[in-house]
Formats: sequence, structure tokens, C-alpha cells
Amino acid sequence: MNILLLLKNEGLKLIKKTRAWLGPILIFILIMVAFPLTVELTSNNLSDAFYPVLFISILLVMMLATEGIFLEDYDDGTLELFLISKNSLSQWVFLKIFMHWLLIGVPISLLGAFFNLGANNDLSSSIMLFPALLIATYIFLILFCFGNSLSLTKGSALGTLITLPLTLPILVILGKLNTAIIFNINYFEFLILIFGVLSIIIFAFPAIISRIIKTHLE
Amino acid sequence: MESSYLIEANNLAYKINEVRLFTNFSFNLKAGEALHIRGSNGSGKSTLIRILCGITPSSKGKVNKKDELVCSYLGHKNALKTYLSVRDNISLLGLSDHESLESLLSLLDLSEKLDVIVANLSFGQQKKVALLRIFLTGADLILLDEPFVGLDSNSHDLLCKFLEKKLHAGSGLIYTSHIPTGISSKDISLD
Repeated sequence: MNILLLLKNEGLKLIKKTRAWLGPILIFILIMVAFPLTVELTSNNLSDAFYPVLFISILLVMMLATEGIFLEDYDDGTLELFLISKNSLSQWVFLKIFMHWLLIGVPISLLGAFFNLGANNDLSSSIMLFPALLIATYIFLILFCFGNSLSLTKGSALGTLITLPLTLPILVILGKLNTAIIFNINYFEFLILIFGVLSIIIFAFPAIISRIIKTHLE
Repeated sequence: MESSYLIEANNLAYKINEVRLFTNFSFNLKAGEALHIRGSNGSGKSTLIRILCGITPSSKGKVNKKDELVCSYLGHKNALKTYLSVRDNISLLGLSDHESLESLLSLLDLSEKLDVIVANLSFGQQKKVALLRIFLTGADLILLDEPFVGLDSNSHDLLCKFLEKKLHAGSGLIYTSHIPTGISSKDISLD
């Protein structure tokens, strides 16, 4: 099965399950819209608190987006067929995560930059924030997929608990990036740092996840 | 392994939770031959098929397959996406443009169901869609685990005819079934 067909299949499966991609996006919008309503309009702290809320809501939404990401294919026997067909399982995992990022991570990154414009009224910070959000959403997706693969037959809560500590360093870097954007210092250094993290796990984790899934199938 | 064999199993054994399902199980299968695995419930038929497919590792022994052997497998799970239509499920395997698709859809009485969501089909119809995908995949070795369960008599006969045709064409067949098939096969029992 060629890469384009696999990508098309994953896209078709995700698009037809509206709840799987639209649900996380709507929850993200809900959090971002509800946040300013809970802070007094006269508060000067609204823009200060915006970035932490944005990053944490992205973390939570990515966790939701990956819930049961491999379970359906495991339960209905698709993974068994895939294994027999001698296609690369790690390639399939890579493409599945990529498609989830394309349909969930990219819109959320765009919305995040848009909400930043609303909260801070600053176009340049939104432009700086957008690539960071694109990278962060991909990293969170990969990490939560790893957790989901570990707890494939045991429910997603266990996998999330295992994975959550791995996301903390990324949140710390995002916090530093927040300061870098506000004061316009060392922005590219932090951006390169999270891009470096992504460039390592983007290929390493699909291989690890595929090995874990194979173990579950056995 | 002798070059004429599609698949050869040597001294296979499988043990789970200290319970031995089968031991020292050996066989070979040439092109055009069928193997019927018999056994009571829980004797390890499905596990044996999964071992032969390469999904589950055996506890002991070895399975040798001919180089570049293309296998197709249908187990207890149909590998169908129940929220997609029959057409979409066929296209997931890249079989939408297969030359035999129309005729097989008509034979299996599925022509009118192409745009129906799989969840709205009966168990037997879902099984037919899963079998259709097996029919369209040009495999050298077909492994089927209880393929006749849920099929009406017409579909049962059609499946038997198809499998016999594939055997004449040089494919191999390994299957489990509690329902008599009429396919001339080597028989092995796990009891």
C-alpha cells in the first residue's frame, strides 16, 4: 500500500468521524472564549494569563484528540490485516499522527494565534506564536499517542498518566517562549529548541509506538 | 524448505498461561492444496492461524514461508469500518477500480448496498463485504478462520466455488470451519 493511499485512508477515516476532529477544536474554542469571561474586564492581568491558559488548553485538547486513536483499528482487526500485508507499521503510525495534526493540530494553532490577536491586540506576537503552536501541537500529539499505545487495551487514562510527565519539559520551554515573545529576546533559540525535540521524536516515537502495538497484537 | 511448498510448519507449539494448546504440530502446503484445521472450541485453531499469519509468535517451532508470498487473512474480526460505506471500505484497500468488482458485487448481492453504511448491514452482509475484499486481493495463500459463519446457503456455495477456483489457479488455502464445506483438503485435528 503506497503512502498516498495510506494518507488518504487516514484522512477519510478521520473526516467521517466528525466527533474525533471537530470535538477537540470546539472544546478549544470553548475554553478560549470562556477564559476572558471568567476574568474581570478591567483586569490588567488578562493578557498575562493568556499564554499559560493557551498552552494548557492545547495540552488538554491534544490529549482528547488522541483518545482511542489506535483502539478502533485494534478492535476491528485492521491492524492484523496491516501486519500481514507487510506494510511498515511505523510508517502507518507516522501517517496517522500526521493526519491528526493536519486536521486538529493545524486548525488549533491557527485559532490559538487568532485568539492571541484578540487578547493582546498584537499581530507580530501572533505571527511569532503560530510556528511555536504548530510544533507544540505535533509534539503533544506524538507523546499522547505513545501513552495511548502503552494502554491500548487498558483504557486511555493510564496512558495519559504515564505520558503527562513527558509533556512537562515542553510546557516549561513554552513558558520560556512566552517570555521570549513578550520581550522579543531569544525567540528563535527557544523555537529551534522545541523544533529540535520534534525532529527527534517525530521519527523515533512512531517506531517505538509500532513496536508496542505489535506486542499488543501478539 | 522444499521449493514447491508455499508454507511449512515444523514442530509448532503454543502455550498460554502454562496451558498447552498444541505441541509438535507440523505440516506443509503446496500450491493448489487446501488444509482444513479441525478442533473443538478452545483447541487453538484461531491461534494456529494467527501464528501461520505471523501475528502471534509460537512458543516453539518455526514457520517457513515461500519468498514474496502474498497472504490474505480473514479472522473473527472483519476489519471493516462500520461508520464508512461499503464503497469506502473497498477503497480503503485500493480495490475500487478492480476489474472483477462489479461482477462480484452482483454475485454477492451487494450491488445495491454500495453506499450503505456498514453498521446498517446485517452480520451476514458484513461478512460478505469482508469476503469480497479477500476475493479481490490476489493472494498466493488464503487463511480463513470460520469463514462460513453467518453466510446464507447461496453465499456459502459461492465462497466454496471461489476457493476451489483459487486452488485450481495455484493458490493455497488454510481454513478452520465447523460447517462442512465440500472442499477437498488435507485434514488436521488439534484435539
